[in-house]
Amino acid sequence: MIKEYSGIAPKSDLLLIQKLCDKLKGKSFVHVNSTREGGGVAEILHRMIPFLQEQGIDARWDVIEGDADFFDFTKKTHNALQGNREKFTKPMWDHYYEVNRRNRRNVDLKADCVLIHDPQPAPLIDFRPKSGKGRNNIWMWRCHIDISNPMPSLWSQLKKHVVKYDTAIFSVPKFAKSLPINEFIVTPSIDPLSDKNRDLSDEEIHAVGEKFNIPRDKKLILQVSRFDKFKDPIGVINAYKIVKKYNDCALILAGSPATDDPEGEAILNEVKEYAGNDPDIIILLLPPDNHKEINALQRMSDVILQKSIKEGFGLTVSEAMWKEKPVIGGAVGGIPLQIVHGVTGFVVYSPEGAAFRIRQYLNDPVMARTMGQQGKEFVRKNFLLTRQIRDYLAVWYCSANKGKHMIEL
Amino acid sequence: MTDSVEPFEFNQCVSILKSTGSRAKNLVEMRRAISRIDEESIFHHVHQYFLKGHMLEYTNDFSQWAGESLEQRALAERLSCIDPYTFKTIDAVRNEIIREIDDFLSCSPEPGDVVKGNEFYFNQTVSLIFPVGVKTKNLAEFLVAIQHIDSGSIYYHFYDSRVRLGEGVVDDFSRWIEHTLFRKEIADRIRAIDPFMHSIESIRHHISEILEEYVRADMEGVVQ
Repeated sequence: MIKEYSGIAPKSDLLLIQKLCDKLKGKSFVHVNSTREGGGVAEILHRMIPFLQEQGIDARWDVIEGDADFFDFTKKTHNALQGNREKFTKPMWDHYYEVNRRNRRNVDLKADCVLIHDPQPAPLIDFRPKSGKGRNNIWMWRCHIDISNPMPSLWSQLKKHVVKYDTAIFSVPKFAKSLPINEFIVTPSIDPLSDKNRDLSDEEIHAVGEKFNIPRDKKLILQVSRFDKFKDPIGVINAYKIVKKYNDCALILAGSPATDDPEGEAILNEVKEYAGNDPDIIILLLPPDNHKEINALQRMSDVILQKSIKEGFGLTVSEAMWKEKPVIGGAVGGIPLQIVHGVTGFVVYSPEGAAFRIRQYLNDPVMARTMGQQGKEFVRKNFLLTRQIRDYLAVWYCSANKGKHMIEL
Repeated sequence: MTDSVEPFEFNQCVSILKSTGSRAKNLVEMRRAISRIDEESIFHHVHQYFLKGHMLEYTNDFSQWAGESLEQRALAERLSCIDPYTFKTIDAVRNEIIREIDDFLSCSPEPGDVVKGNEFYFNQTVSLIFPVGVKTKNLAEFLVAIQHIDSGSIYYHFYDSRVRLGEGVVDDFSRWIEHTLFRKEIADRIRAIDPFMHSIESIRHHISEILEEYVRADMEGVVQ
């Protein structure tokens, strides 16, 4: 697989992956999360695991199982970590712990490196082997959520688990906390070879346009995201309504449901109601495996938005930039790391701001094209899958060589 | 003859970002943190700024924050003028930053807190160094390598070497050209490139231009 990225990803990333894999050859590396489908984490793991296996790492991916109460609770924790007020009771916390306790048999706790994604499986650290094989392995907790301003009582509960890890990994410096353990920053990534990002032929793009009845004679504005209030789909519609007064255009809101998101349907209904009968607002609820369709929608669009008001990282921004599209994003989470304002896109703070930038792009195609090209190069250097694989391996290796600031390979 | 020449071996530096957990929301907190934070964090925010490709306006992360988040442009300009490669130790750079902040605070009203979310987050890095498998033995090979090598390699040999070698002003490229190829004039011209005024890509461009001139002259038999 690594050869497929040659000529696409920076050579230095590929070289470092090879060097680190030589050092870690034969060791086991287990990733644990709570869903196989939906969301950026699952998408990346689908590609990263075989990539690592091919490089001689015994990489695996385990998924914990939970019931509706468990996922309802973890959705609440997700919202509360992003700053919402939620109510938590002791029986809820007990159930959360119990589900993890039950799952301990489904996870290889003796792996040389265990990487736990997000809060759902965080308590598994309590079942780390205390003796024998696995006693000295590396446990890393990877947080994909914007926890820069969490509900304090929730964070203090979750922190009790986090501090037991060797290393915590956050997506953005401002998400990091003052913790007594190693804290690394690893930004997420997109896979340039996946169905979601690979080049598509005009025929493939056209077919998707036909399938969803997209009006190709109008300028297209797109936001791809789960139907979640933090993605501000209502704000996007408001921005579109302002632009519509000046430019004939259509808005596509495309998203897929995630198995760990019970609120999605309610938000979707609210968005449909708000859109009313405007035939130029196209709401698409796509199955999680419709990657090629998402790719085609992005490639046929003229402007792509990610107008989130809370965000983990907002990888759809990098996806759009990889396709050389002019982008507009909310100034939250990891979006400002991807959008260098005025260079690789525009960062906005309101629906009005989004509307103004959409109009700028639609009226200045040269600027839109230049920013799109700069965006693609920025993504190539910073947000491709190979860079993230490089970083996970490096963090594992650095955690095993604790205290060193310079490592020669 | 070239067999006896010690080749120039290109290395690469990749830095993995680490959080210190410290942050500052105003200038007083910033000063306090700078005075206490590990040397590695100062090194990252000042010396490794050049790895970021100069997309930003100032010359280190502290001045960038002072200008953009704290909105104190005069302070940002003063901090921006601190050239880390003219100091012998990182502690000396730290003291100079503190001196500039103290000087600013003594004659200007204390700025308020930055907008929530725009705090300064103190990071550091773990640097991984590895050979990229490119070795050159003469000026022409060296020119081709400079034109195509990864920017992280140029950072390592042109910027990082100034701290690594402890000599304050010398880069790996000019050292090799002077001491192995015995081309002092070329070495001096490379040393004359001000690292402060250029991005890594522009450093690449300038070194290529200089080398091309001499390689062409060598090919055409013009005696330098």
